Amino acid sequence: MAETKQELIDLRQILEIPQRFATGPVMGRFLRELRDNQRIMANRCPKCGRFQLPPREVCAICRVPVTEFVAVGPEGVIQSYDLVYYASPDPLTGKARQAPYTTVNVLLDGVEGKDTLWHLLNETDPKKIKRGMRVRAVFSETRTGSIHDIKYFEII
Amino acid sequence: MAKNRNVGIIGIGQTVHSSHREEVNQPEMIHEAVELALKDAGMTMADVDCIVHGNMELFEMIHQPDMWHVIGDGAVGKPGLRITTGGTTGATLVCAADTLVASGMHDVVMAIGFEKLQEGHTTGGITNMADPLWGRELQTGALTGMTADAMIEEFGEERAKYAAMKHRLIMDQHAMLNPNAHRRFGFVEEMLPAMIANTPPLVGELRIVHMCSQSDGACAMIFASEKVVKKRKAKAAWVKDHVTVHREETFNLFGNVEEITTMRYAAQKLYERNGITDPRKQIDVFEMYDPSSWWGLDWIREFLMLEGDEHLKMVEKGEIGINGKFPINPSGGVVATNPIGATAMVRVAEAAMQIRGTAGAHQVKKPVKLALASGFGGTLWTVLVLLSKKRPKLAEK
Repeated sequence: MAETKQELIDLRQILEIPQRFATGPVMGRFLRELRDNQRIMANRCPKCGRFQLPPREVCAICRVPVTEFVAVGPEGVIQSYDLVYYASPDPLTGKARQAPYTTVNVLLDGVEGKDTLWHLLNETDPKKIKRGMRVRAVFSETRTGSIHDIKYFEII
Repeated sequence: MAKNRNVGIIGIGQTVHSSHREEVNQPEMIHEAVELALKDAGMTMADVDCIVHGNMELFEMIHQPDMWHVIGDGAVGKPGLRITTGGTTGATLVCAADTLVASGMHDVVMAIGFEKLQEGHTTGGITNMADPLWGRELQTGALTGMTADAMIEEFGEERAKYAAMKHRLIMDQHAMLNPNAHRRFGFVEEMLPAMIANTPPLVGELRIVHMCSQSDGACAMIFASEKVVKKRKAKAAWVKDHVTVHREETFNLFGNVEEITTMRYAAQKLYERNGITDPRKQIDVFEMYDPSSWWGLDWIREFLMLEGDEHLKMVEKGEIGINGKFPINPSGGVVATNPIGATAMVRVAEAAMQIRGTAGAHQVKKPVKLALASGFGGTLWTVLVLLSKKRPKLAEK
């Protein structure tokens, strides 16, 4: 570094990248069932019997294809949750998310095994949320085949 | 694990880690670590056969950063590999360098891990790790309060919160001894109740002060074959073994399906292979990738294969302190310093410094013969690296 103080220039850039992801027949069916039938479909491993949510092509533990779909929920139990105060950027928009918000892992009624569905809970008062509480999925009026087809879970 | 030949760590270089290395660009910052590692090994670039280079590209959004960095890392005209495995990158770089030398492909390999987190967005980058079909809109980087919740439920609010903050205090006391560490607050025991009550929360009971920093920094390490180590009479920390454990992918990140954590599973494998039945007695120091003081506290139980509240007692009694019975992170750990692509490598580098006796003010006082280092990343993956002062006996193949 020179002895005279040098101005340090930094360059500022913002990236915007339109993205499009294929969902495939398994995740695609899960999203279609949400959109068309307001139904949450898990799939069941033919070997170990565990349910997967969202459904996945194979059971990664048994290493076999998973083809049987089973409707579960829409009610269930809070397994774990995160009450988020930090306003992180939403990678889909680049804008800061509105905090606080609560993400929740719900063990839906009918699920065999421990796989939970990960979504939002419409409650941000820490005194009102407890693990083990019963919740239900609230579906959006306009559904497009995405995570937003479920609006959020609400405490029953 | 059967190796063709032994591999020694003979050169280590670390930059000063800080929130803003405004005065250098990426290749310049990496160059600092490379120069220090070469100097430590008594080598020049002419002695290095191969470069292994890595970081987590989605932070700075520079793809193939090794192309830009060639002017700082000395790789011109040399074979090279670029590795990126999320948080574990630094440990994977170590595993790759070890494998390249052990296999006989190269005699001297330099591994370089770096990150300049000020040049991108850390939490936004990690959120993009979530599967794009579902989790991206829910994930908040690596921030979660679930471990805090589980520990509060298991051990009671007062005890769990105190133990996590005590872990944070001990790490800060260590960082104060490490001139390269990023966050050096100078916390004292009397501040604990106020820190527990008043520090701002990120997610649930995970508070800013518990969480690892976002740092700029680089680390370079030189790995050499036994022949080179002997010929140069180099001071070596030997790579005794390493193990990498993956788990099911991102959809199930918080699904709680697993019965055994990757930390405990990796430890089990490593200890079995190396005759370790009592890790706290047989291992002298542990450099753990502790992304937060809640995880750091919880994982002591997993890595050391403990049951019940044994890990809490170790922290409450200060046994993990630099002069304690089982020192953890004399460097200050990841909660103090976290240039992510270098972070897991810094764990191995710090463990090697303890074995080589070159850690300076944060050298543990007891003799260090066996040191353990861990890497964390991906969707709760674990890498464990075991280093020894004594040259390992090569296993029969």
